[in-house]
Amino acid sequence: MATANATLPSDALLDPADDLRRGNTARLRWRTGFDRWVGYLLPFLFLVALIPIADVIYFVGSKALPTLTFGVLLSQNNYQSYNALGVPLISTFEILALATAIALALGLFGGIATAEFLSDEAAGWVRMSANLLAGMPSVIVGYFGYFAFVLYFGWGLAVIAGAFTLSFFMIPYIFRTVDLAFSSVPRPIREAAYGSGAGPAQYIVRVGTPIAFPQILTGVFLAMAIGLGETAPIILTVAANVAVPANLFQGATYLTYLIWTGYQFPAGSVALTLAFESAFLIVIIVIGLNIVVRIISARYRKRLEGLYQ
Amino acid sequence: MSPTPADSDTGREPLPAPAPVAADESPGGTPTKTWIGRIVPFIPALIPAAIIAAIAWTLLNASGFYNFGWGFWLPASATNQYGVLVEIVGSFLTAVPALFLSMVLGLGIAIASTVYLPRFITRFLDPFVDLLAGIPSVVYGIWAFVVIAPIFGTIINPWAVAHLSFIPGFAPSTIPPSPTTAGTGLPLAIMVLTLMALPITTLLIRDALRSIPRDLWESGLALGATRWEVMRRVGLRHGSRGILSAAFLGFGRAIGETVAVAMVIGLDGRFPVNVYDVTDTMAAYMFESLDAAFSHPILLKNLAELALVLLAITFVVNLVGRRLVSHIYAEEVPGI
Repeated sequence: MATANATLPSDALLDPADDLRRGNTARLRWRTGFDRWVGYLLPFLFLVALIPIADVIYFVGSKALPTLTFGVLLSQNNYQSYNALGVPLISTFEILALATAIALALGLFGGIATAEFLSDEAAGWVRMSANLLAGMPSVIVGYFGYFAFVLYFGWGLAVIAGAFTLSFFMIPYIFRTVDLAFSSVPRPIREAAYGSGAGPAQYIVRVGTPIAFPQILTGVFLAMAIGLGETAPIILTVAANVAVPANLFQGATYLTYLIWTGYQFPAGSVALTLAFESAFLIVIIVIGLNIVVRIISARYRKRLEGLYQ
Repeated sequence: MSPTPADSDTGREPLPAPAPVAADESPGGTPTKTWIGRIVPFIPALIPAAIIAAIAWTLLNASGFYNFGWGFWLPASATNQYGVLVEIVGSFLTAVPALFLSMVLGLGIAIASTVYLPRFITRFLDPFVDLLAGIPSVVYGIWAFVVIAPIFGTIINPWAVAHLSFIPGFAPSTIPPSPTTAGTGLPLAIMVLTLMALPITTLLIRDALRSIPRDLWESGLALGATRWEVMRRVGLRHGSRGILSAAFLGFGRAIGETVAVAMVIGLDGRFPVNVYDVTDTMAAYMFESLDAAFSHPILLKNLAELALVLLAITFVVNLVGRRLVSHIYAEEVPGI
């Protein structure tokens, strides 16, 4: 309450009754009117966020839908001369699945260890490091992938190099949601498990994971949405390939690569058409993943509340 | 903590009470007795730190500690091929105005969301702001290049030339021609970066303002202050750490943004002659130059050193931003 006294100056004429007593109705009307008009006008700032989102969705939809058919999605033709997305779609799925697997393997154990075994102080530092990794500019991680995997390990521009690089963007998200999920397992349940003789491994596998599972799933989906949209690191480490890569040490074409290479081409060209279609697919998948995440976390919250009853 | 009649003064549902902080919330509670048992759990937990260390070490190694001398910190020219001052200045010229705009807009949206709009509306609107963060930067890039750039090139920039030329820096230039009808350049890059920093700043400010204790809020109202006055005099001060951290983290996002900026900035390695001009940023320059560096080992070292500069900037900015909020929040905000 000391804060309130310190921040509300006594001479501020904040009391409407005081304004009235002094006959200062004009000032009272100004203050309440100002407050009311701020309330009317400030919400319109939401439009600054809503209009671009609506326009981006309308833009990619209106540009891509006239040319996008199931035939295009399945066509294995060379995308350099045909409107064909089959090869990039398979390559994208392959890289993303591999990156998710790597990130899940590393992030899952890291998150569980942080939530379950580390002291508060150590966990704080570990969480900080995960946040710093999440804030790393994509081009820096791309450079790291290029120098480490492409050059030093000698993998060349390859699916495996891209998958590892991409996983570094996904690890912090999976890490933090796993950590959060295990930290928010209700304390009574944790104590009941340990109290009835479970060891840490039994607690994690039998009790913690079933409760934390929905939230871990949201972390994986969020990480996939992040990974699907990354461009710079993929271009620096995987480059392109007109065919589906035969093994993990060949290049591949990611959907975002088509946007980056096609955006300056004239209207009607194959490259620009593919760029619009890729942008549409990415936006649809990312929004879909976000919606799924919201649904899961809403249900999860209800379930957690139910656990207490 | 049930709603009291005082809440009707605010015309909305009461601010949610701050999350209760349990006194004894230490994780674990499991005795790990052996020495090995104490050390092993740390190994997976150190993965993010190990990746950061690997990134820094790899870049240091790739730079080879090559000495570009003072020329590194000067603009590139015929005699000074490896200067990067233009890119560093370009990064700040785009990130700082974008941060300012996104902080102003973020504050407005967060105040509207916490104070003025009823809960059932913000429940619906807030996810859209968060969704801004989800749209990939390359999609923003192509959208800005195809849809927004012509608007800047044919409407906004000519209008600014016609009406704002008296302000230094707003006058048009003929050599090099600026503004051009293509519309790419600083204003477009700043707009894109504003949109991309907006979700972070809004989210963090919103959380900072939501964590205002309700008794503080209600005592302000009880003293006769309007909602705006309580927000300005109590709320903003109480949430100042969170707001400051929003500025740091938003700046980190803006200065590290790569592809969207590369698509709209013009990728021209010279100082802008006026506010409409094209230029280059650190991240965009690094991204577009790696191909050329493939057969040019010295340029590769040059780029690695520039990467170290950007890494140092973002690392410090993010560290400060996270430290500021880590004292307030028991849990980090997922998604950013």
